Amino acid sequence: MKRVLLTTLLAGLFATQAYAADSIKIAITGPFSGGSAPMGTSMRDGAKIAIAEINVAGGIKVGAKMLKFEVLERDDEAKNERGALIAQELASMNDLAGVIGTVNTGVCLAGDKHLQEKGITKIITPAAGSASMTQWSKAKVKDLSIFRLAAHDGIQAAMVVEEAINRKYTKVAMLYDSTNYGVSGRDDMVEQIRKQGNILQVVTTDKFNIGDKDMTAQLLRAKNGGAQAVLIWGIGPELAAVANGMAKIGLKVPLIGGWTLSMSNFIDNSAKNGNGTLMPQTFIEEPITPKAKNFITAYHKTYNVKRIPSPVSAAQGYDAVFIFAAAVKQAQSTDTKKIKLALEDLKEPVQGVITTWKKPFSSWDPANEESHEAFRRDQVVMGMVQDGHVVFGNDADRKRLISNATSVKGKK
Amino acid sequence: MNQALIQLLVSGALMGLVYALVAYGFQLTYATSKSINFGQGELVMLSAFFSLTLTNLGLPYYLMIPGGLLFGVVAGLFVERAGVRLALEQKSEGWILMTIILGLFGVSAAENIWGRDDRPFPTPIPTEPMQFFGISITPLEISVALGVFMIMVIIELFKRKTLLGKAFAAVSADRDAAELMGISATRTIMLSYGLSGLVAALAGILVSPITTVGPTMASALVLKAFSVAVVAGLESGFGVVIVGLFLGSLESLTSFYVGSGWREAPGLVLLILALAVRPTGIFGKAVIRKV
Repeated sequence: MKRVLLTTLLAGLFATQAYAADSIKIAITGPFSGGSAPMGTSMRDGAKIAIAEINVAGGIKVGAKMLKFEVLERDDEAKNERGALIAQELASMNDLAGVIGTVNTGVCLAGDKHLQEKGITKIITPAAGSASMTQWSKAKVKDLSIFRLAAHDGIQAAMVVEEAINRKYTKVAMLYDSTNYGVSGRDDMVEQIRKQGNILQVVTTDKFNIGDKDMTAQLLRAKNGGAQAVLIWGIGPELAAVANGMAKIGLKVPLIGGWTLSMSNFIDNSAKNGNGTLMPQTFIEEPITPKAKNFITAYHKTYNVKRIPSPVSAAQGYDAVFIFAAAVKQAQSTDTKKIKLALEDLKEPVQGVITTWKKPFSSWDPANEESHEAFRRDQVVMGMVQDGHVVFGNDADRKRLISNATSVKGKK
Repeated sequence: MNQALIQLLVSGALMGLVYALVAYGFQLTYATSKSINFGQGELVMLSAFFSLTLTNLGLPYYLMIPGGLLFGVVAGLFVERAGVRLALEQKSEGWILMTIILGLFGVSAAENIWGRDDRPFPTPIPTEPMQFFGISITPLEISVALGVFMIMVIIELFKRKTLLGKAFAAVSADRDAAELMGISATRTIMLSYGLSGLVAALAGILVSPITTVGPTMASALVLKAFSVAVVAGLESGFGVVIVGLFLGSLESLTSFYVGSGWREAPGLVLLILALAVRPTGIFGKAVIRKV
């Protein structure tokens, strides 16, 4: 009896291995429920559109075979401990080609170490908190299998402070939520205010908790201090409570902050109080290029929506898959370590919906996290909430993106 | 007095009234049966979701309210029948666990039926702030205050002026004696749970436009409400209003003058003080038990 069991088990083992060689197995992780869900589901759905496009076209040619993507989905519920469990599970798989996802910085901090230990390649998107990459430079890791495709908070905080200075403000209030994301965002903003010449005077720095609905006290302090703008780092529902609170006490100044201000649960719950809110974006849901138009139409049709819940997450998920696929093609292997090496040295440019990625990553340099960060300042634009949609905050950005797209085509 | 202070007091007091309304739901059932529905917060949430569904089906606001309230009553009766009645008949404390379990069940059900997202709750009441001597109040907030006071006055009048209402007091005082006088204790307790469900539903409908609707919307609320109920004493209906107003304002003031991180502190300090100094609550009556 025992022998029969053993043979069945062994047979099963071989069966899965044989199967694995026929597909590229990747995991998509993120919060598909809860307050961060708009980002998680958009990222997942954007990635799945890319995967469908690749699979329909036959897959990726590795050796003599055409391999298709096989997807594992894991919901981390934006909880650090769930993220750690999922990362452990993924790290224990021998045939996993890579991981794409994670929305919450805390989840990255809790889980990525398990993947790094096993050398499993991961592209973080759209978690933007600085700490998810700086943890590796601080630990002076020599070889890193974690990459990121998201405008990290360093870039975003710089843009937020820059925007306030460009608008000739001198006094600002700073609000942040008490999560890892909020606190690290606050640190980035403080750092950037110092770097950009201490032009902005911070009249009050206040925090709020996840689930808080009444922000009167924090906002009154901002109002009494004479704040001309509120710089903020938080997540959808609480951001909406802040916008509604500002309207209530008559604090008519712009809200400028992290890209989470484009989340649908901020836009819906703040309604017209959210108008004029500014945040850095990597993708605006406007069909300004043919590639963007195709992507937006595909998303709307596939998921039967009129608006992408988080366009930035969806576009980044989509581009992450194409970058990953390019690495698989170049590595000519589904081995996660070979894919990592290919990612660090992508020979061919990758046509994405955000931009055309030319060598997005390079070999990991512990002194410079940007070696594993895809985004640079000029790929990010300022978005603005306008009647339930995110539009370009500065028209110059819009024109720049259109001309970039046409110039790339011209070169071809 | 400066305007910021008054604005803080007003905003805090309004939150406090919401705590009071949930606490009042605790107080209603405790008065008759010495039992509490620990899933009161989940009743608030479920009723809010149900009302949202009615609104999405196209029902106008004034028809949605009775629908939502009816749902609350039915849910309250269900809790009494499924979680409380048997435990009380056996004089056991099983209702504590049962009501918590029913609450958890409610959260799971809501997550599966309506999803885990926070959603806006449409309301015809304007949310534009109005100015009173430099203080901003939205009509929505005024509707919350009015709603809380109205339902409490109606229920208190019912308890004091009608025969059925007096049965509440009788069952509360001595269940067995009340039974001997021809009052059905079971029915009185059922009624109190129904009313408690009604109060929960009203709380859900009133606060949802401000707080948004989500499966965890009431989890923070219910802890505060419990503090209010314990500090006020579970015997007094109007006591919870006063303590609720006080706690709400205190929270608001603390987070302004001490720091936003200290917001939760006064509620806990108040709770500890009350338990240490006056365990029956500020407005509670010390009962001498004769053996």
